[in-house]
Amino acid sequence: MWSKVYDWLDERLGLEDLYKGLLDRPEPHGNWWNTLGSASLFIFIMQGATGIFLTVYYTPSPDHAYDSIQYIMNGVAFGWLIRGIHHWGASLMVLVVFIHLLRVFYTASYKYPRELTWIIGSFLFLLTLGMGFTGYLLPWNQRAYWATTVGTSIAGTVPFIGPFIERALRGGTDISALTLSRFFSAHIWMLPALLTALIGGHLYLIMRHGESQFPELDD
Amino acid sequence: MNEEYKKKVHKKYEKSLRKGERFWPDSIYKDLLVSFAIFLLLVGLATFIGVKPEPKVDPNDAAYVPRPEWYFLFLFQFLKYFPGSLEWVGAALIPGVAVLSLILLPFLDKNPYRHYSKRKVAITVMSLIVVGIVALTGVAVATTPPQEEVAVAGSISEQIVQGQDLYSVYCVECHGAEGEGGIIQGVEGLEGVELKPISSQDEMYTRNDGSLFDIISYGQPNLGMPPFGTSFGGELPPGDIDALVAFMRYTWDDRAELPPEAAQASAIPALGPDEVPSYEVHIQAISKRYCVSCHRTGKKNNNYLMGTYEDIVSSGDNAPVVVAGDANSILLQVIQRHAVTDANGNEIGVMPPTKELKPEYVDMFVRWVMAGMPETADDAAALATTATAAPEAEATPTP
Amino acid sequence: MASSNRVSRRDFVKVTTAVLSTIMGAVVGLPVIGYLIDPALKAQKSDTWIPLGPLENYPIGKPTLFTFTRSKVNGWEKTVNSYGVFVLQKSKNEVTVLSNVCTHLSCRVNWHEDVQEYICPCHDAQFDADGKVLGGPPPRPLDKYEIKVEDGDLFIHFVEG
Repeated sequence: MWSKVYDWLDERLGLEDLYKGLLDRPEPHGNWWNTLGSASLFIFIMQGATGIFLTVYYTPSPDHAYDSIQYIMNGVAFGWLIRGIHHWGASLMVLVVFIHLLRVFYTASYKYPRELTWIIGSFLFLLTLGMGFTGYLLPWNQRAYWATTVGTSIAGTVPFIGPFIERALRGGTDISALTLSRFFSAHIWMLPALLTALIGGHLYLIMRHGESQFPELDD
Repeated sequence: MNEEYKKKVHKKYEKSLRKGERFWPDSIYKDLLVSFAIFLLLVGLATFIGVKPEPKVDPNDAAYVPRPEWYFLFLFQFLKYFPGSLEWVGAALIPGVAVLSLILLPFLDKNPYRHYSKRKVAITVMSLIVVGIVALTGVAVATTPPQEEVAVAGSISEQIVQGQDLYSVYCVECHGAEGEGGIIQGVEGLEGVELKPISSQDEMYTRNDGSLFDIISYGQPNLGMPPFGTSFGGELPPGDIDALVAFMRYTWDDRAELPPEAAQASAIPALGPDEVPSYEVHIQAISKRYCVSCHRTGKKNNNYLMGTYEDIVSSGDNAPVVVAGDANSILLQVIQRHAVTDANGNEIGVMPPTKELKPEYVDMFVRWVMAGMPETADDAAALATTATAAPEAEATPTP
Repeated sequence: MASSNRVSRRDFVKVTTAVLSTIMGAVVGLPVIGYLIDPALKAQKSDTWIPLGPLENYPIGKPTLFTFTRSKVNGWEKTVNSYGVFVLQKSKNEVTVLSNVCTHLSCRVNWHEDVQEYICPCHDAQFDADGKVLGGPPPRPLDKYEIKVEDGDLFIHFVEG
């Protein structure tokens, strides 16, 4: 029965080829440091899942953002768990992605033929920080408000175009409803879309060139 | 980069593949274990540490110390070292160059070798940057003053209870414990002013939460009500005013139903016939609601404060105001509506000045004083058992 | 030997993957179900008497609409709901109070003086002055409130949830 189902699916999906192409690949002898990339991907997926669930109750407006988060934390069953994972996952993701970046640097894995993998990876790192920055405002609490005030003001110090960037980030001169909704949009649509696309590229390049080996004396 | 170099790289990689492993199951197994460990860590952090509650946005809170998320702290600290005119160097130029070099690293680092021993410069530079980031973060953490702890109400019930406590402190002296208003007595500058009730149907049906918020925040300066919101120089941040509004709405508006948890949490516990009241359970609940609005620092109250057990027992110009076992204690006299005179012949008026306490609360005070003013529920229980045990022992017939 | 080792290792990893994935799925998945259906499990209950004013204000023999509002907490938001009831004083002190919510699909019924019927504007349901179904699709008569009269004031027993 199951083998029939498998055969039917295999004929259409090419499961056997997928297995050979994706899973049964040869690799240099592994190392625990090599798991950081997949760990980053794992946290990204966790963040995506918990983030989607948070939007069930979260409301991105100054009137309700704070109250809706209080409700998630205290009113909804397991809301504290979903938000807790999302909150700590954000910190952990920055940490893991950064250590992954350092690992790649120290093993010189960014050199030929993996330069493009590194470039995409550094964008992934910046986007992760962007996710942290935009997500930080969403609870609309004191911490969020003031951190965003300072953060967007930093952008304002850029010569000539700074004040314009600041206004563009804030959606006006103040931290307002417009700031909250554009940060929300960036946090749940734009940045994740970019991240997903770039992660796809990153993974494709890894499969194309294979995982790099740890450098040896003659490398 | 010549073709020969590329060929060499590929050849070496193929060699390492030959003594390597398979993605499935070898690599995936490690990945899985690490991911699972991260998963356990996340669930553990969410469960045992959780997310610290933070007060609602208050753009007028001058005392708030803004801090970014920890991973931006190094940048935050870095900016302290740049004088105003060079701000843009620290905020834009250096980070901009850093980001660009990060992205373009493969083109900046032309060194063809990969082994650590042949990349001393690159490794040293990166290590210094990492040490710098860690050090800046450390300095920032060490120099950040601890944030003032603020009570944050989680649910609406908690908000209502918090609002009731705030109401008892800030509002009762003029508006009365039930918002009944009346002629103000004993409040400096407003003596004798008559207030209409604020808990009536008229008030509740015609003022929405926003109006109530604004009235509390801005006050009614022409009528003598001071501003309470931090935006107008008062003491209460927006979250506290929200709590006050929630308390008023759910307690006084007959269209709203007080959530049972809130009703339970704010109820003053009833006292059984043989029970001995304690400060912790009974007296505090009453004094918190009916007395502290005037009997706190900065108010006209003969320096008699009622915020803590010690204050109730020993503070005041006429201390001691209560003496264990003394039915003529000043406190008991005034709450039973007997005006008394102090040592200097000044009259101490009846308390509370406008509306008398409910008889059961007066009774609680009397029984508390007569029982010896126990502070904790355990003390009170101990007194209760000895009090009931003694007559029993007496009643035992001696053969 | 080597190949059989490989196979058993492969199976071991397969089983571990399945077990760990199931644990992670359950630890997050089950709470998520609770998280999603939570509001459906918490209906706020109401049980109170609503004052409808002095009974003498209601004319005898003619249903009169009285509206009132109740506010409830739904999540982080206070929801103010409006309710309408038809008060009919048939004779002195003999009162019926009917909900104006059609028992069919919750449209609001109106009293039509000319035909002496409540008519629902949605699917033409008809009810008589007592709330009995005269025609149309409704499955049961209009809901009746329990009433009491205290000091000449009319109250209805409002139960929800």
